[in-house]
Amino acid sequence: MNPRLLLLVPLLLLHGTAFAASTAEAEKRLQGAVNEVLAAADAAPSVGALAESLDPILHKHLSFDAMTRRAVGPGWRQFTEDQKKNATRLFATLILRTYSSKFTPGERAVIKFLPATSPEPGRYEIPTTLLYEGSHYNVIYRMEEAEGWRVTDVVIEGVSLVANYRSQFDAEYKKGGANAVVGALSHSVNHPK
Amino acid sequence: MKSPILTLLLVLVAAPFLASCSSPGRKPPAAPAAVKGGDGKSVIAAESDLNEYSAVSVADPLEPLNRATFWFNHGLYMVVLRPITKGYDKAVPKPVRTGIHNVFENVRFPVRFVNHTLQGNFKRAGLETGRFFVNSIAGVGGIGRPSDHIAALANLPEADTGQTFAKWGIGHGIYIVLPLLGPSSLRETVGFAGDYALNPVNWISFVYGGYAWTIAIPSTNSLRVTHEQLGVYDSATKSALDKYLAIRSSYIQYRQEIAKK
Repeated sequence: MNPRLLLLVPLLLLHGTAFAASTAEAEKRLQGAVNEVLAAADAAPSVGALAESLDPILHKHLSFDAMTRRAVGPGWRQFTEDQKKNATRLFATLILRTYSSKFTPGERAVIKFLPATSPEPGRYEIPTTLLYEGSHYNVIYRMEEAEGWRVTDVVIEGVSLVANYRSQFDAEYKKGGANAVVGALSHSVNHPK
Repeated sequence: MKSPILTLLLVLVAAPFLASCSSPGRKPPAAPAAVKGGDGKSVIAAESDLNEYSAVSVADPLEPLNRATFWFNHGLYMVVLRPITKGYDKAVPKPVRTGIHNVFENVRFPVRFVNHTLQGNFKRAGLETGRFFVNSIAGVGGIGRPSDHIAALANLPEADTGQTFAKWGIGHGIYIVLPLLGPSSLRETVGFAGDYALNPVNWISFVYGGYAWTIAIPSTNSLRVTHEQLGVYDSATKSALDKYLAIRSSYIQYRQEIAKK
């Protein structure tokens, strides 16, 4: 073998080891988050109580900053600091509500983790299968390293949570800029339907 | 949609529109998202990722009409269909509902078989045939799903006519909200007509038309499908800023995912 190629072997091995280590870390973090959510779902007597107990768990494991910013898109640059804070807080409330309303008290979810892929360094996509109330769903968690691993998107059967809001925020932004986005978010949070 | 002539007409009318549609969803980011913060810790880089997602887009020249149909459907779901499906939920025990679901899914075999074949995926068409026989015989007419316990047959991907068109490179064309049936596109409407014609449940009314029971069987199937889809509809619209856009975006992303399978 070419001696130069031989030099490459340890580098490749090191890269492989680093990949495996961070994959394991991201997977471990996600499994921990999922277990915390399931335990909260088991313990909660109602959807309202679940939303309350999920609040600190989701704030710990999801990057609401990145999710809100990306869902708004380039218009984010025109937001004032206050508008950014408000939009992120309201979006987090909305996601929390959507997430907790998916649970039916007494029903147990069975989640299977599949091998993760890395679209680029520092990012992982962890596919899972979810069996809930007799139906199977393919759910992909997108994770990024930021003060530990955080979930930045949840893709259910190909439907990305962030992309879904991106379309809606875009329409609001075109109507009336940052104020329209914050106003629409506030309206959705205060008038749940 | 029942008539083959109407299907053909739809294809002819659709042809000029079928190439134009894009639904990019998520783009690969231009710059790495994680950078080192002041304290040496990794943080998600602010504002370097604002173009990461783009609004899911599809040509929607009929938007005013589509929105009107959407709200008509929404009212129908809330006022008429939801109470009916709730009644179905209460009157029919879960194991029976599962059995009904399994039977109708098993009978839908020709939709999957023909489309796997049209997509050139003969291996999947063969596995579908295997699954159909296993569930029909060992599952007693498809009530049970013993194929779930056979690794090769357990998780076969779905196949439908709209997906076949997508795999052939045909775009959505324009977005259409169908009365009662909900979100669709020109391509998927033609696909739906194909699925309808291939589903034996709908053959009954052609062969034995005129008897009450010929309506009862497809109606039970519609009730089952509606029951399942209302849950998905609720999740997608409950926390939406604009329910119409939320459903349009979810639908286009979902069909894009199906086309990849």
